[in-house]
Amino acid sequence: MVLSAITEFAAQEPKLYAFIIGLVGAAILASVINVGAMAVVWLERKVMGDLQARYGPNRVGGRWGILQLGADAIKLFTKEDIIPRGADKPVYVWAPIVASATTMLVAGAIPFGAVIIDGKEIPLVVANMDISALYVEAVLSLMAISAFMAGWSSNNKYSMLGAFRGVARMISYEVPMGVCVISVAIMAHSLNLVEIVQAQSIWFAVAQPLGFIIFTIALITDLGRMPFDQTEAEEEIIAGYNTEYSGIRFGLLYFQEYNSMLLGAILLVLLYLGGWNGPVIPVISFISPMIWFFMKLLIVLVALIWIRVSLLRFRIDQVTDLGWKVMLPLSMVNLAWAVAVGLYFA
Amino acid sequence: MGISDVIPLPVVVDEELEKWTIWGKPLTDVWFTTTEKIHEIIEMGPIKNVLNWGRKNSLWFLMQPMGCCGVEMLVFGCPPYDCDRFGIFPRATPRQVDVMIISGYITRKYLPAIKNLWEQIPEPKWVMAIGECAISGGPFYDSYNIINNTGRFFPIDVYVPGCPPRPEKFIEGFRGLQEKIKQREDKRGY
Amino acid sequence: MTTANDVLSALQSAFPGAIEDAKVDPERQLWATIKPDKIVDVCKYLRDNHNFDHYSGAAGVDKINEGLFEVTELLASHGAHQVVALLKVKTPRDNPSVKSLTGLFWNANWYEREIWEMLGINFEDHPELYPLLLSDELVGVWPWRKDYKGYPDYTTAERAIERINSEGYMEYHIPPTEAEIEAGTVPVERPKYPSLREREEMEIKGESEMILHLGPQHAVVPGPFLLDLLVDGERVKKAFLDVGYIHKGIEKIMENRTYVQGIPITDRLCYMAALTNNEAYCGSVERLLGIEAPERAQYIRMILEELSRIQSHLLGTGEFLTLIGSAVFCPFLYMIIDREDVLTCIESVTGARINHSFVRFGGVRNDLPDGFKDMTLDVLKKVRQKTEEYKELFLSDSIYNKRMEGVGVLSPSEARRLGVSGPPLRASDTPYDMRREDPYLLYKEMDFDVITRKEGDSKARIEVRLDEIVESCYIIEQCLDQIPSGPIQEKLPKRIKPDPGEAYYRVEDHRGEMGFFVVSDGSDKPVKVKARGPVYAYFQALPPLLEGTYIADVVAIAGSMDACTSEVDR
Repeated sequence: MVLSAITEFAAQEPKLYAFIIGLVGAAILASVINVGAMAVVWLERKVMGDLQARYGPNRVGGRWGILQLGADAIKLFTKEDIIPRGADKPVYVWAPIVASATTMLVAGAIPFGAVIIDGKEIPLVVANMDISALYVEAVLSLMAISAFMAGWSSNNKYSMLGAFRGVARMISYEVPMGVCVISVAIMAHSLNLVEIVQAQSIWFAVAQPLGFIIFTIALITDLGRMPFDQTEAEEEIIAGYNTEYSGIRFGLLYFQEYNSMLLGAILLVLLYLGGWNGPVIPVISFISPMIWFFMKLLIVLVALIWIRVSLLRFRIDQVTDLGWKVMLPLSMVNLAWAVAVGLYFA
Repeated sequence: MGISDVIPLPVVVDEELEKWTIWGKPLTDVWFTTTEKIHEIIEMGPIKNVLNWGRKNSLWFLMQPMGCCGVEMLVFGCPPYDCDRFGIFPRATPRQVDVMIISGYITRKYLPAIKNLWEQIPEPKWVMAIGECAISGGPFYDSYNIINNTGRFFPIDVYVPGCPPRPEKFIEGFRGLQEKIKQREDKRGY
Repeated sequence: MTTANDVLSALQSAFPGAIEDAKVDPERQLWATIKPDKIVDVCKYLRDNHNFDHYSGAAGVDKINEGLFEVTELLASHGAHQVVALLKVKTPRDNPSVKSLTGLFWNANWYEREIWEMLGINFEDHPELYPLLLSDELVGVWPWRKDYKGYPDYTTAERAIERINSEGYMEYHIPPTEAEIEAGTVPVERPKYPSLREREEMEIKGESEMILHLGPQHAVVPGPFLLDLLVDGERVKKAFLDVGYIHKGIEKIMENRTYVQGIPITDRLCYMAALTNNEAYCGSVERLLGIEAPERAQYIRMILEELSRIQSHLLGTGEFLTLIGSAVFCPFLYMIIDREDVLTCIESVTGARINHSFVRFGGVRNDLPDGFKDMTLDVLKKVRQKTEEYKELFLSDSIYNKRMEGVGVLSPSEARRLGVSGPPLRASDTPYDMRREDPYLLYKEMDFDVITRKEGDSKARIEVRLDEIVESCYIIEQCLDQIPSGPIQEKLPKRIKPDPGEAYYRVEDHRGEMGFFVVSDGSDKPVKVKARGPVYAYFQALPPLLEGTYIADVVAIAGSMDACTSEVDR
């Protein structure tokens, strides 16, 4: 009854229908990605606690500390909002919004797994574009722009240094990362993330081990996590580009880091670890791709957290050195390898 | 001011609305909200309890070691004591913290700086005095350079005595602050 | 080997008439009063001809009864011999002025600045006689003079006044109170000097340069101090250091307490090294009293001091790792767990975690508890094993090596010139350790190595600390094996009144050479207590070390020094 009414409406007003569906999709997407990021924050605090021989949050919301994030969010929402006197106000206000918009834009083009209905695999993606890999790669680099906006507009020396570091780092790592994505695309004969996943009868991490390593390092750099967190090196420049941010504006910037960490991990799983591919689990074959996808995602996330607590920070000049002198040539080697293998099997 | 003044509605509606109340106050009082009105409502109602629950469970403190107590402050965040259990952890910038810990001697030279730090912390904020020096000057009460009446400069909510207090005492101090926030008995009235 | 008597006779023949009432007491210390106009020549002679290349500090004493100020210069040698020369210069109380030694010893700078701001003794030819520890409103008050009226009643500021400065920011200012004005503690005339801000701004040359303030509250600082960097992009061109944010006036306070009451104050001098500070103070008072602790007490002191060294090095190394990593870096937290174990051992004896007040004149406060030996041996076994693990971990960590190798290099000659001591000096290939150099307690009988490294960079400093942990474990094990039974405290009168005189006693602190210079006039309170701390010397050496490095290296260098602000400011 309702379904038929909707179909009828869709037939009559295709543009309006598409618009409404888009809005609904965006709302679902935003909530999914934000809840996911909250889960990542919680996961990080608990896993970090375990690795450091302590408990992590365990008082708020039962012994697993599940409501800790809720408390943090309430507090950040009701904190005083300070805009420094010397700040460039419009840029200062827009920086956190640009940051969260960036992650939403990326999320729109990323498939969050797949389900099997009637033996057919249906990827869960909002916008299934032909060039989604390229698009995601391009939008991810916008994150440095928002960090730069935040750092520059704050009128603070630490923020400015953090912003400069962020841009220098972004420029030197975006190139090898892009080359890696191209290598993957050459091997998969497609720039569509869904098709890239489907092309991985052998994981690309196995087919291009060099590319996998380079992409992982470049991704960590892009996310600004240890050992590449020079933009917010607490011990050198206080909190880097978000030194002057308080309350919910800081909350957005902080949250965006975890949003992008989640998306980055998903991207890594999609490009190199075979996405949701895996043997079909008999009884629950409906969601068996989701199970594989989440298991891989969890492993990647825990690995990222593990890296954070066990490595020291590079100096910024060493980071750019590594980017231009090691990563770029190696990614070119990887590109050549991908082309050669691609030609051989073609 | 009634609703019929703004929107063309029968006066009957207005009269009817005046009978409605929200938490003991006429609804018309809070119909056209101003920031103060919203604050008033929040102040009265159960929302405040929710807000205070969030605030008390997420007390980030300013990393500011000053003396002997600074060492214990450092240990307070580490494995055997682990302040993260309570949602308490240190941040380096005053813009992102809720609690300032005065963990040592305040001198004439440092007072302006520490006052500035306090001003930079966004509301709602609390301050704790930890250790004898921060409370009364401690063993240096008669020095020419020590401020021994810290309470005059900062609205201190919790005093934790000891020279220096053990890390367990830090936890106790934070629990006391949480209790105060919950009971709405803190000095600045959150 | 040169003895104190050799030096004295050489001095007397080289400067006839310039040396007054010279004596050698005890065997390695040379005391002499030098004519004021000859002090620079005498020091130059000692430095060039007798290897006195270590300027160890200076103390100003206010002898109000004689109408004199005395400045005592402490000279020693970096291993050529073991003589300490304590040269006194007298100057009248009205218009006091002494010749500066900054031309001979680079590190005399801070010591002389401090004496100037505290006592008002002018140092001729000093390049930058600006206040070091005091805030501007206390300069000209001369708080360490005996006739300073501010003690003990007018000590606190009543209120801070808020005002908006020329740049539009709120600032706080503490004006003198009426009581202070009435009491006459506010100086009529203040010395004129450019402020720190003005001095910094004079150095800014180009458009791309700016001053980056690290401190007084900053994640890099272990306590409040201000490190201002003149940076061009990521490069540090010049560094300025402003200390004194937690200056408590410990030395003045100790002048107004009895000898025993001074012990708890020395704890708070440096909270990481409370036991060695106790030891240095008690040792010098014991020298004044002419007593020595019983053997068992000396063993107990050694055990606890070495345990304290282990916990200090663990925290110092761990804290340093958080600086080049982040506060969530795992090995740091594991080190804190180890440190808690060591603290449990110390606590079982002294009853305190940090401030022990344990060492007493001629003994210790209480005996080792039952089962201490087994517990300590267990902990030491674990600590030693873990330390080896950390060393292996760091050696195989390429990021660690990349960040640390060749950063903040101190060549041996440079390290000696800058006056640093302890692990940073030993990392620069100079085996200078008070436990060997000026043996105190029973370290003469102990078998241990003085750890040195050739490189002199940040990495070497950390390695020295980690190796010293293992070495300390070894010393404690020897002590626990050899410790005799017997009394732990010499019999002493309740009121301690040493004979008039002076004593200097130095120990190997966890961070370097720690010395206490105590002057007595026969009453139950010391006339002057001067603490010569190791971190004071590091801090002075920090700005030249930081020039030309990256901002990220500033953290690596400052952290590898293992600073303790409380001891600098006193």
